[in-house]
Amino acid sequence: MDLESYKKTWENQPKETKSVSKIDIYKMAHSKSSSVVKWIFIIGILEVAFWSGLNLLVPDGYMKVYKDFNLVDFLNYYFILHYIVIALFLILFYKNYASVSAVDNTRTLMNKILRVRKTVKYYVYYNLGGFVLVTIIVNSVMFSNPEMMTETMNPQHLNVNMDTILAVTLVTQIIVLLVMLLILWLFYKVTYGALLKKLTKNYKELDSLDHLN
Amino acid sequence: MQKDLESKFLVDFEKNQNIVHKICRIYTTNQDAHNDLFQEVTIQLWKNYGKFRGEAKFSTWMYRVALNTAISLYRKSTRTIKTLDISDISYKIQSLEYDNTEEEQLKSLYKAIQELSDIEKALIFLYLENKPYKEISESLGITQVNARVKMNRAKDKLRNILNP
Repeated sequence: MDLESYKKTWENQPKETKSVSKIDIYKMAHSKSSSVVKWIFIIGILEVAFWSGLNLLVPDGYMKVYKDFNLVDFLNYYFILHYIVIALFLILFYKNYASVSAVDNTRTLMNKILRVRKTVKYYVYYNLGGFVLVTIIVNSVMFSNPEMMTETMNPQHLNVNMDTILAVTLVTQIIVLLVMLLILWLFYKVTYGALLKKLTKNYKELDSLDHLN
Repeated sequence: MQKDLESKFLVDFEKNQNIVHKICRIYTTNQDAHNDLFQEVTIQLWKNYGKFRGEAKFSTWMYRVALNTAISLYRKSTRTIKTLDISDISYKIQSLEYDNTEEEQLKSLYKAIQELSDIEKALIFLYLENKPYKEISESLGITQVNARVKMNRAKDKLRNILNP
């Protein structure tokens, strides 16, 4: 049987037996959306909060170390810049989120959803990059002044091998960074993986059409 | 003003709701998921209704929003059961005056459509609903040529599923 006759069958199909009343439509229209975009938005906000909050967790003891090394000014400027970037990011993030509309054509819509996700991704890259950069700068300054470093890290002049301690400090920092990256990667795999698997697949399918000709 | 808009929306939607039901039937496999998707489509339609200025027909606009929701916005409900529940579909299309062979045909058509990808489902659905290529390509955001190429592939696939 050819498709045309199936089409006839399709056209003759009866209406939904359980039709939805106006009252139910009203109730549904005013209920909360659980769309992919909404979830990306919520997770994005949580990520911003997480990364911004991380900066506030620097223990007081560290500040003394930074003071000893005259790094306070540098860090203050860095934080000012950092908060400007966060503000810009938030504006961009919200603008992208608000531009998502089910009225767009399918391809534009998917593009916009993926852009919301990308904004968050770049924000995380920025944070990671900033984190690594600041760590490198702070460490370079500190390690270039071993006497001061020894003084700061071992104020009681205990009889320990300072070289070992400095090496351990460096290795610990690298391990912490790697563990953070791993956690982050897992987090993305689980959350965005689950949220965007279908969308990415559909987008690829639609996008591949463009390369047909 | 808001009240007028709302009541107009309710009238328009109630009248055209069958479009959304058909879309829910091809994109979900059980009643719970059907209701879930129906609700999300309703939310999206209402959210965008203020911007609907009647340049297009309400039903045309509805096709786009509903398909977009099914393809891109709807987060598959965790309750969704993967395998197709045939009894569910037959329940939905039960009708006393309905010809039995036609019912069988419709069931196998729905079952075959379920095996297509999300994009193919949209293409086939718009074909079955007699939509011109211009509208199909505009709705999906691809060129008419690409819409035709992809449609032919989707039809071939559907034919193969229907007549193995």
